[in-house]
Amino acid sequence: MAILRRLFGSRQRQGVFALYEYLDDAIAVITKLRAQGDKFDVFTPTYYHELEAALGYEPSKVRWFTLTGALLGVTFGFGLCLLTDYDWPLVVGGKTAGIYSLPAYVVIGFEMMILLGAIATILGVLLLGKVPNPKGRIYSTQTTDSRFGIYVYGIDDKHATAKLLQERSVELEVFR
Amino acid sequence: MGMVEGWQRSVADVNNDILVNTRKPHPMFYVALAASLLCVVLGGVFWGIQITRGMGVAGLNSPVYWGVYITNFVFWVGIGHAGTLISAILFLFRARWRNSVNRSAEAMTIFAVMCAGMFPLIHVGRVWVAAYWMLPLPNTNNLWVNFRSPLIWDVFAISTYLTVSLLFWYMGMIPDLASLRDRMRGFKRLVYGVLSFGWRGTAQQWHHYETGYAFLAALATPLVLSVHSVVSWDFAMSIQPGWHTTIFPPYFVAGAILSGCAMVYTLLMPVRWMFRLQDYIRQEHLDALLKLTLLTSSIVFYAYAVEFFVAWYSGNVYEQEIFAKRLHGDYAFYFWVMVFCNCIFPLVFWFKRLRMHVPTAFVVCVLINVGMWFERYNIIVSSLVEDFLPGSWGHYQPSWTEMFITLGSFGWFFFWFLIFCRYFPIVSLSEIKLIMPKPMRSQSSARQAGGD
Repeated sequence: MAILRRLFGSRQRQGVFALYEYLDDAIAVITKLRAQGDKFDVFTPTYYHELEAALGYEPSKVRWFTLTGALLGVTFGFGLCLLTDYDWPLVVGGKTAGIYSLPAYVVIGFEMMILLGAIATILGVLLLGKVPNPKGRIYSTQTTDSRFGIYVYGIDDKHATAKLLQERSVELEVFR
Repeated sequence: MGMVEGWQRSVADVNNDILVNTRKPHPMFYVALAASLLCVVLGGVFWGIQITRGMGVAGLNSPVYWGVYITNFVFWVGIGHAGTLISAILFLFRARWRNSVNRSAEAMTIFAVMCAGMFPLIHVGRVWVAAYWMLPLPNTNNLWVNFRSPLIWDVFAISTYLTVSLLFWYMGMIPDLASLRDRMRGFKRLVYGVLSFGWRGTAQQWHHYETGYAFLAALATPLVLSVHSVVSWDFAMSIQPGWHTTIFPPYFVAGAILSGCAMVYTLLMPVRWMFRLQDYIRQEHLDALLKLTLLTSSIVFYAYAVEFFVAWYSGNVYEQEIFAKRLHGDYAFYFWVMVFCNCIFPLVFWFKRLRMHVPTAFVVCVLINVGMWFERYNIIVSSLVEDFLPGSWGHYQPSWTEMFITLGSFGWFFFWFLIFCRYFPIVSLSEIKLIMPKPMRSQSSARQAGGD
C-alpha cells in the first residue's frame, strides 16, 4: 500500500493555493512572485498569451520531437519502397532492374513523414508537459472552468507571500 | 466581421452551458440512436449475405467493377475533409470563427473516414485476406505490394489521415475532458480522469500543448490537400476516358471541402438547436461556413466547365464521346442532379438574407450532399460503362445489397456522431474561451474583444 501511495499518490508538499477570477490579477501576482524568486505553479483554463509572457517561457522543445518524427517518417517511407523494390525488382518497360523510380515513392514518403511527425509531436506534448503525472495534484476543480490558480510551494498562511497571494484572490487554501 | 462583439455569455458560463449534453438527454436522442442502429444492423445483414453468397449479389460485373461501393468510399472521404480544413487550415489562417465549430467538424471527419475505410474492405469481398492485398506484407511468392500503384498510395493516405485526424481531435479534447472530470463524481470522474490523461492545466502544460497543436495543424494542412489528391489519382492515373485528366486533384479537393462544409452545417443545425448552443455557435460563424461552401461550390462549377472544355479541346474522340453522353446519355439524370445540386442551388448563398434563413440554408446543404454523392457516382459509372471498345460496353444499376450497405454506412456515421454528442464536449471549451472577451478586472465592466 505504501509503495502504491509512493508511486501513484499525490505529492504531499506544503504550500498555499490561491484562486483568481481575473487574468490581470493573476498576472500581477505572477510578476511579483517571479521577482521574489519563489517556486510556483500556475493553472489556467486555456492558453492566454499574456500568461506565457508573464512567465517568460522559452519556445517549447516540442518542435524537436516533430522534426525528429518527420525525418524518421520520410526515411522509413522511402526506405520501405526502395527495399521492397530491391528485394523484388518490378521491371517496367524492359528497363534494367535496379533503376529506382523515386517520384512514385514520394506519396508514401510524404504520408509516413506526416504520420510519424504527428505521433512524435503528441509524445513530445505529453512527455514535456508531464501528462499524465500521477504525483501531480489537482488543487481546485475551478481552474479547468474559468478561474486561474497559483500554487506557491513551501510556504504556509503565516508567510508574507501568502498575504500577497490573498490580496485579490477569491479563495485561498493551505496544503500540508 | 463583428464576431468579437455581442457575446451574450462570459467565459465563466462556458462549461456550464456547453456541457448540458452530458446530462440526461432528450427522448429524441434515443429515437435517433435506435434508428441509426437499425440501419447499421440492416447494412451488416446485407454484408453478411454478400460474404456468404459471394460478390455476385452486389451486382458488380464487367465492365463496371467499381460501383456504389467506391462511390461511397470517395463520398465519405470527401465529407471528412471539411473537419481538417476547419481545424487545421483555418487555425493557421487565424480564422477565429472556426473555434466554435471545429470540435464537431473534426468528430465528423473521424466518423466519416471510419465509414470510408469500410468500403474498400466491403469491396474486396474476402475481407479476411484484405490485409495481404493492402499492406506491405510479402505473399507466398515473396512478392510485395506494388508501391507504384495509386491504390497502395491510397491505403497509406487514408490510414495516415484517419490516425492524424484522430490524434488531432483527441489532443484538442484532453483539456475539455479534464473539465468534464472536474464536474463529475465517483465512477464517471474516474473514467473522464483516465480519458483526460490526468491533465492538470498548468501553464507549463499549456505552453507545450499550444506549440504541439500548431505543429499538428501545420502537418495536417498538407495532409488534407494530399489525401483527396491521392484518392483522385485512383482515377486519374488510369487511361479511362473521363478519368485521365490533370485537373482531378484540385477538383476532388474542392468537391470534398464543399461536401464537408455542407455536412457540417447539416449536422450542426439540429445539434445547436437541441443543446441550445446559439450563444456559442453563432449566426455569423455559420455565415462564414456558408461563404466557404459558396467558394468551394464555385471552384467545383469551374472544374466541371474545364472538364468539358478540355474534352472538346483535346480532340480525343473517346473523351469527347464520354462527356457528350454524360450530357444526354443513359446516365444523364445523375449528371444533371449533380450540376443542379452542386452548382446552381448553392448560388442562393450569394445573398446574405438567404444565408441567414436557416430552413433555406439547411435544405441547400442537404441537396449539396446529395449532389456530391451523385457526382462520384457519375464519374465512376459513366466512365466505366462505355470505354474504347463498343463490344465491351455494359450497363450498371445499384443492387439492393449495395443500397442497404450504403444505408448501413449512414447509420454507422450517425451512430458514432450521436455517441459523441452525448458524452463529449460538442464545442471546444478551451478554444471558445479564447475568442470570447477575456476575464480582465480592468475590462470587466466594459465588455471587450478577446484574442491577441
